Amino acid sequence: MEKKMRMDRRARGAVTLLGSCLAVYLIFKIIRPNNFGSLSNLFSYLQQALMPAVAGCGLYFIVIMGLFDFSIGANIVLSALIGVIVGNKIGYVGFVISIVAVASLLGLINGIVYVKCRIPSIIVTIGLMIIYECLGALLASGSVFTLSKDLGAFGHAPMNIIFSLIAFAIAYYFLKCTKIGIYTYAIGSNEKSAENMGINVKKYKVIAFVLAGFFAGLMSILTVSYGNAMSPSTNMASMSRSFTPLMGCFFALAFKNSINPIISIIAGEFIITMIMSGLIVVGVPSTLQNLVIGVTLIIIILLTCRVERDAVVK
Amino acid sequence: MGNQVLLEIDNISKAFGITKACKNITFTINKGEIHGLIGENGSGKSTLTSMIYGLQSPDEGRFVFLGKEYKAHNQLEANVAGISAIVQEAGTLSGLTVAQNMFLGKEKEFISNGFLNNKKMNVAADSLLKEYGFETIKGADIVDKYNFETRKFMEIVKATYFKPELVIVDETTTALSQDGREILYEQMDKIRNSGRTVIFISHDLDEVMSKTDRVSVLRDGEYITTVNTKEITADNLKELMVGRKVDNRYYRTDYGTPVSEQVVYSMNHVTTKGLLKDVSLELHKGEILGIGGLSDCGIHEIGRVLFGAERNYEGAVKFSDGKRINSITEAIAEGIAYTSKDRDNESVVLNASIKNNICMMAYDSLKKGIFISPSKCNSFANKFAKKLSVKMQGIEQDVAGLSGGNKQKVVLARWLAINPEILIFDSPTRGIDIKVKADIYNVMDELRKEGKSIIMISEEIMELIGMCDRILILKNGAVNGEFVRNESLQEQDLIKKMI
Repeated sequence: MEKKMRMDRRARGAVTLLGSCLAVYLIFKIIRPNNFGSLSNLFSYLQQALMPAVAGCGLYFIVIMGLFDFSIGANIVLSALIGVIVGNKIGYVGFVISIVAVASLLGLINGIVYVKCRIPSIIVTIGLMIIYECLGALLASGSVFTLSKDLGAFGHAPMNIIFSLIAFAIAYYFLKCTKIGIYTYAIGSNEKSAENMGINVKKYKVIAFVLAGFFAGLMSILTVSYGNAMSPSTNMASMSRSFTPLMGCFFALAFKNSINPIISIIAGEFIITMIMSGLIVVGVPSTLQNLVIGVTLIIIILLTCRVERDAVVK
Repeated sequence: MGNQVLLEIDNISKAFGITKACKNITFTINKGEIHGLIGENGSGKSTLTSMIYGLQSPDEGRFVFLGKEYKAHNQLEANVAGISAIVQEAGTLSGLTVAQNMFLGKEKEFISNGFLNNKKMNVAADSLLKEYGFETIKGADIVDKYNFETRKFMEIVKATYFKPELVIVDETTTALSQDGREILYEQMDKIRNSGRTVIFISHDLDEVMSKTDRVSVLRDGEYITTVNTKEITADNLKELMVGRKVDNRYYRTDYGTPVSEQVVYSMNHVTTKGLLKDVSLELHKGEILGIGGLSDCGIHEIGRVLFGAERNYEGAVKFSDGKRINSITEAIAEGIAYTSKDRDNESVVLNASIKNNICMMAYDSLKKGIFISPSKCNSFANKFAKKLSVKMQGIEQDVAGLSGGNKQKVVLARWLAINPEILIFDSPTRGIDIKVKADIYNVMDELRKEGKSIIMISEEIMELIGMCDRILILKNGAVNGEFVRNESLQEQDLIKKMI
């Protein structure tokens, strides 16, 4: 009986997620039957969705705790720039290791500054985002960094898919097979209780930021491989790169009681990619595209965080 | 059972701001006993035990546990030393599974080759739960799936499975049904019979009488005595709990003053989810209506409902003319004032000046044309700060730097400044020293004489008896007794209705 109820809840979650996938697909398919949603189109949406999904997996550790990290976009840019320099000199190993190392280091800096300064994470990471952008711009001094053609394997199937699957496996490992996952949920549930129960809250917050950085690094590898090049961003332009992974996390939060978060992040990113591609196919001007994305975001949050009546919203 | 000492509580003191929660408490807990700990609200029981299991650390004094000085900084350290606790509030973390909650901080046992073996953890949880007879709780389930009582069972297992020397049961029984209590009692007996120890905190004197070997009594943060349960009656315990000679000097002195028949505000069959059960009350013009009960029995909820802060209820709250309140703004516009129990977070703006706090609601009357007049604000704030004799350096001083009593005076000043007709005071003298208390009682009496209607919600029985024309006592969310002001009213009469 109880087992059945649990199955029911899972089934309901799966149906809702698959249903929204299908609904989005059908809407655009009906409007543009010829240009949208062929099998090869869908495969390309999936490949696009892999990038933010990978970063979303890391960001999820932050979001579960009720924190934010807006610097991962800037992190992706800066680590990619360094990765391209190192990679072009010493090949794949240097490319991958340098990006992951730089990205994790930036995550560590985020975590330490946040924990030491005791300032809200949104503000800390926005401040650091500007700094990372600036460092990237100084490094590039106006030029575009192109990745050597020999290093492009992660930019297309099947390597990009294998690479992402490994990333998802790592995320699954941390989330389900280590203390880190449990403590992350515990801190998100009630930080004070968790602390009283003997969890080193600061340590696990820093670890969460490092993980967010690490997975941002993996997205960075995919991003620079897909596009073969990376140019610095300034004036908070990197924020938009943080944004899509964050949307995936909100999907995961919405379904956290029924579906494994990694699966809902992937599905969420896939839905978002379909919407964005669909809007282009339909020919919606880019300004209006942003309008749709903004509305979608608010709807998702509305569904995710059902704030209790009379609760203070900040 | 033996008289070997397990825990020495040696001269322990703890203060929160000016409130001394524990004052030089010294007594000992023996091995192999169920040791009751009783006292009124605010007597220091929970503060004392929370220091024993590591939630707070004492300002002075020390604990000696099993012959060695003992200090824990969190529950995990306490567990390692051999002390665990089942607490009053929720002791589980939502979003985690039962097994994850149960072994929080002890995951090491389940990690092999860097992988946490969830299955092994769930199996271990299941077998423990089965051992305790809770087969229906499953380790793999998210705790949120279970109701409060079931989660308490899980906490019982969590707190006892590793056989700690000392288990603290902190007012857990209030959350349990009779069956649930029996299960808890059984575990307590098991612990004692194996030569280990339980500290049992409860408001229910009957269960204290029937379950404990010895009982220690705290009153106003001080240790009173420890008695053998066999040699004492429940009435003796009550006397020890409330024992002090009542000091009447601070309260109203009039008795038999007639109260107007006119009802100004009423609550009809109000039920809120999980707290209030079919509560009705009528507030008469010019009376002080007291509402008393244990901290979590719903008394504070009544204030929130009457003030329009809690709108999620069945039943009706209305004025004599049938008008209802739909929001706090409307309540204030209709002349209702409210001071919250949580003064710092809900009543004052800590980082604003006394002036701004007092003027906060009166800016409409402090305008000159379209501008707020600074000079009007100054004289207005000065007038009301003086009226309530707020002890301050000046009206520009931040409220954060004031003592609890003076903060409360600022809150009162703000409300009096807009001249409300109905005043709801929730725990108005909580954590306030006796001098300022007297001032506040005075203000209330003045307001009463002016014909204002007052609701006084309080966990302090003496001030209810001393100040109110009528007192309603709540128990488990329902009205369980009503008392009319008279000289012979005793604290015990009210306590009987509360517990």
